[in-house]
Amino acid sequence: MIYLEYLLLLFLIIAAVMAVYFEDEVISIIFLSVVSVILTTLYLLYQAADVALAEAVIGAGLNTAIYMSAISQIREKSK
Amino acid sequence: MKKFLVGLLFIGLAFLLLINFAELPEEKLITFSLSDYYIGFGLEQTGALNLVTAILYDYRGFDSLGESTVIFAAVSGIVLILSRKMLPVSSHGLSFIVKRTLGILTPFIALFSLYVITHGHLTPGGGFQGGVILAAISIIFSIVYGSAFDYKRYSPELKTTFETGGALVFIIIGGLGILFDGFFLDNLDFLTHSPGTLISAGSIPLINIGIGFKVGAGLAIVFYSMIQKTFGEEF
Amino acid sequence: MLHHLVFTVLFLLGLYTVIYKNNLIKMVIGLNIMEIAVFFWVIAVSDTGKSVPIYHLNKFAASFNDPVPQALTLTGIIIGASTTALLLTFIIELNKFADTIDSNKLEGLNE
Repeated sequence: MIYLEYLLLLFLIIAAVMAVYFEDEVISIIFLSVVSVILTTLYLLYQAADVALAEAVIGAGLNTAIYMSAISQIREKSK
Repeated sequence: MKKFLVGLLFIGLAFLLLINFAELPEEKLITFSLSDYYIGFGLEQTGALNLVTAILYDYRGFDSLGESTVIFAAVSGIVLILSRKMLPVSSHGLSFIVKRTLGILTPFIALFSLYVITHGHLTPGGGFQGGVILAAISIIFSIVYGSAFDYKRYSPELKTTFETGGALVFIIIGGLGILFDGFFLDNLDFLTHSPGTLISAGSIPLINIGIGFKVGAGLAIVFYSMIQKTFGEEF
Repeated sequence: MLHHLVFTVLFLLGLYTVIYKNNLIKMVIGLNIMEIAVFFWVIAVSDTGKSVPIYHLNKFAASFNDPVPQALTLTGIIIGASTTALLLTFIIELNKFADTIDSNKLEGLNE
């Protein structure tokens, strides 16, 4: 169990660095959603079930949809 | 030179943060006096098995009311900025296979969201999480079937009605607390059955239902306002 | 100590994104990463190795984690989502008038 926590923390930092590193916004948003999914697992390990449910629904679901719709509008305008 | 200075600032900030974290005690970082009160008396005072829900909707009910106000303000700002008099056709949706599969799956998503909302005092969940799952149904309709379908099934007027209705349910239940017990947002004890059943915990399930529909409709309005809207022939 | 290290790395990463990147959407992503760092730290510190703060039906023994930081974090996550949507709305509207989302190419702010 303790190794799982270390591994997830490592993946969390790697995914966050990737989200910042890439220039394309769509790749950044997908990595931000990966960060949220890893964070959901970590919250379950830290015994916070309500926060895990909220993070899964909002971080991985709603935020991604809102970012995608914003980017589609911006790219449509600049085309 | 400027970048070098900012990098130096970052290193100094990291150093300061780590120094301060090293000063923190390992155990008992937070004083537990208030939390001990909530843990010790939460079940017998509110009747909710889930202590997080008991804190959110009973002890700290004003926090949830303010949070609903923040969501309402955000929705109002977004709709004020982005509302245009255009026909709400964004796309014609995805392929036939995706439409059929999600047509089968969507009732189960709705059932799960209603379960999360109504069982907030017994299991993990509550109004906020279930409301966001409700908003996900509207997002699925907009993406998979095209936003004209979403407009015809759940028109913005219906969503507005749901949002204001949910907020009204919250405030009316708070007012009933004044009427019966003398305090705003007081737990209505006469509704309480034995703890662990569905109809228990006083006013917490009712507030959950109100907040669930309010948050779901509000976030659905946000997503509906943010999608690309162009003029379309068929609608 | 490990949680403090992860919090420091994530928070400074978000601050770096807000300061150095020119793309406005990347700045919002940096703000999101800073939020995530703070929520992660609060939850990780409030975990004392006990169980989820939900009673079982039949045994009413209380040995729970602290429920107050979890309730506060839950409030913060939802407010973070709505403020993110509001910021993106401002960026969309800015792009309609200025035709760019690059903060260096924005004109008319200092004239």
